[in-house]
Amino acid sequence: MAVAFPLAGRTRAHPVPLAWRTITANRWRLARSSAGIGFAVLLMLAQLGFENAFFNASLQVLRALDGDIFLQSVHKYQFATQDPLPISLLATARAVPGVASAAPLYADWYDLFWKSPRDGKSYLVRGFAFDPKTPVFTLPDVNAGSAQLQTPGAVLTDRRARRFLGMDQDARQSEINGVKVEIVGQFALGPDFVSDGTVMMSPATFASLMHGAAGNPPGIALGVIKLASGADPNTVLKALRKALPTDIAVMTKDRLIAFERAFQADVSSAGPIFAIGTIVGFVVGMLISYQITFTEVSDQLPQYATLKAIGYPTGYLMRVVLEQAALNAAAGWIPAWLLSLGLYRLIGYIALLPMRMSPGITFISLGLTLGMCLLSAVIAVGRVIRADPAAVF
Amino acid sequence: MTALAWRILTDDKGRTGLALAGIFMAILLVFIQLGLFFAVPQGGMLLYDHMRFDLLLVSNQYEYQAQPGAFPASRLAAARSSPDVAQATPLYFGVVKWKSGVGDVWPDLFVISFDPGSDVLTPPSIINHRAALMRPDTILVDSATRPMFGPIEAGRVVDIDDRKETIAGQYVLGTGFMGLGVALFSEANFARLLPHRGLAMVNLGAIRLKPGVDPVRAAADLQKLTGPDTQLFSRAVLARRETSYWTTRTSVGLIFGSGLLISIVVGIMVVYQIVSTQVSRQLPQFATLKAIGYGDSALAGTVAVMSLLIAIAGFAPALAAAALLYDEIREKTLLPVTLSVSHIAEVFAAALVMAAISALLAVGGLRRADPADVF
Repeated sequence: MAVAFPLAGRTRAHPVPLAWRTITANRWRLARSSAGIGFAVLLMLAQLGFENAFFNASLQVLRALDGDIFLQSVHKYQFATQDPLPISLLATARAVPGVASAAPLYADWYDLFWKSPRDGKSYLVRGFAFDPKTPVFTLPDVNAGSAQLQTPGAVLTDRRARRFLGMDQDARQSEINGVKVEIVGQFALGPDFVSDGTVMMSPATFASLMHGAAGNPPGIALGVIKLASGADPNTVLKALRKALPTDIAVMTKDRLIAFERAFQADVSSAGPIFAIGTIVGFVVGMLISYQITFTEVSDQLPQYATLKAIGYPTGYLMRVVLEQAALNAAAGWIPAWLLSLGLYRLIGYIALLPMRMSPGITFISLGLTLGMCLLSAVIAVGRVIRADPAAVF
Repeated sequence: MTALAWRILTDDKGRTGLALAGIFMAILLVFIQLGLFFAVPQGGMLLYDHMRFDLLLVSNQYEYQAQPGAFPASRLAAARSSPDVAQATPLYFGVVKWKSGVGDVWPDLFVISFDPGSDVLTPPSIINHRAALMRPDTILVDSATRPMFGPIEAGRVVDIDDRKETIAGQYVLGTGFMGLGVALFSEANFARLLPHRGLAMVNLGAIRLKPGVDPVRAAADLQKLTGPDTQLFSRAVLARRETSYWTTRTSVGLIFGSGLLISIVVGIMVVYQIVSTQVSRQLPQFATLKAIGYGDSALAGTVAVMSLLIAIAGFAPALAAAALLYDEIREKTLLPVTLSVSHIAEVFAAALVMAAISALLAVGGLRRADPADVF
């Protein structure tokens, strides 16, 4: 062992990329292991992407709201549920110091039937209405088209709506609840798990389309409040709670989004469903990667024993095996990640789901891939530790 | 061939164990994805699976069960006048506010209304409670109603819209995609609860034909009586429509369909990985066999048998695990994930396909077994 340390020291100074050489020695095998690990990673990426898309689909309309503080009924447990508030609340809110504006958002999920220009049949759609002079969305297309909404019967339609609604076609008019509407523009929002498509309009048009609401203006779904510059959100939040009746929930945008997310997570079981797929991908990946590392190690066993015989410490050999596993992980993860970009686009296009790669998915999948490869290498490395020079020769 | 494959597999037990674990996971994943894929349309069929009818009369605006459109009650009366029809029972749907949720929450309640004197809904827990439903302002609540509705106990009085209703008990059917909570009302209670809605417009008409009447012919004849704003579905047509709605109109089909596809590819990768490693490890032996006169096809056959043995051996534990996991998923998601014979057969076929494709891939390595190289 006296020679071992100087040798080991020398390798540190001029490292032989042993792991790299071992991995690339057999390109066919590398391709095979990269494919094996890669598909397990792709499975995890698909599941993670679906989970993300599921929540994004329900949350993106809330994220697109242009406000700091929101008012809704305290009885509301989900955005897509009818619990209207009297519009007079907004006047009360406007009087609170620090409030710059309080705009109404009218919404309906269950009463607007849109006649599809595609097949002439009527389908349930989601409708939003707001005062064209005080837009409540950050969607640029909506705000660009909002001036035209002042014409009675004018609507904007969602070009990312499900295709059977025919909103992606260039029809200029259609019908909602049997009343003629003029399509004056389009925006891109996409369906969620409640609604297949969305139309936007002015409150006057909204009132005229709603059944049985004639003369009686409909209530608002959400009060959208913007703070005056320099106003402290917490102070205004408290003042609003004091000024408004107790059956009004006053929430920041983050809270509104978190509330919806919690509801979706609670009722949908999307979390567990996609977690199962991710775990299976992880276990399968671990098995494949164990198999790969194990084969590599056993094939190189004489070489490892030789290294050991000439004095390399076991720790060094273990590191080489772990490096190999990490390289295998990278060789599987990189193509899988790139492939998933295409997969996300394809599924996003076909299913109209907001499938998007995110830093979160990137890091989680990379961490899981490294985890499964290193974990399986640690199990496989036992072979190297037992590599007895005497047994090999 | 089989004996040789068996020998190779049992010679290296560790590696074969690994292969089994891999294929087990892959097959289990196929079970999960397939189970979820079919559970969704089955969830959509939940009410129909518990309804007695030969033909279903619906509006021509019918989309799927929870969004059926409505047609005038007179259409059902017209159907009743046909000599083919034994019974025609209306069902009414409505959505109301359950104002007795946990905390301040007022969840939406999906209401199904029917004549408690009829046996149109088949669950025994409904049949046995029909007398209670005839009492004014008394309802039955589905046992799968979500916890946010608060306790569903017999005798509890709850606020629904602006009325007080007494819960007579629970029934077992399932909420499916009707909503987070479902309750049964008698027609009289329904009309009291929703005076503007009333009973003039019907959502579903459950038609029972006289014995011996052919449903297809009867549907064509009845259509003439019920008019163009209605349509009639036999059970088979209805099942096809609902399934196609859930698999093509929503993203459900695509999500679980692509999950299914990826899990099959992963399964192929696992088996291929294992079998091809075996092939390269046994290459000298294969080359020897070749040298002593075994043909390529015999060796390829050995590889194929190896793949098949692995797939079949992995299938049985995966089936057992799937049965356990289905129970778990059913409980957690309230989706009717069921292990039917046809699912088992489909997954078994998928396992065989996985084995066949991975064998095909691995045989490529076998051709390199050149006796001259080895010696």
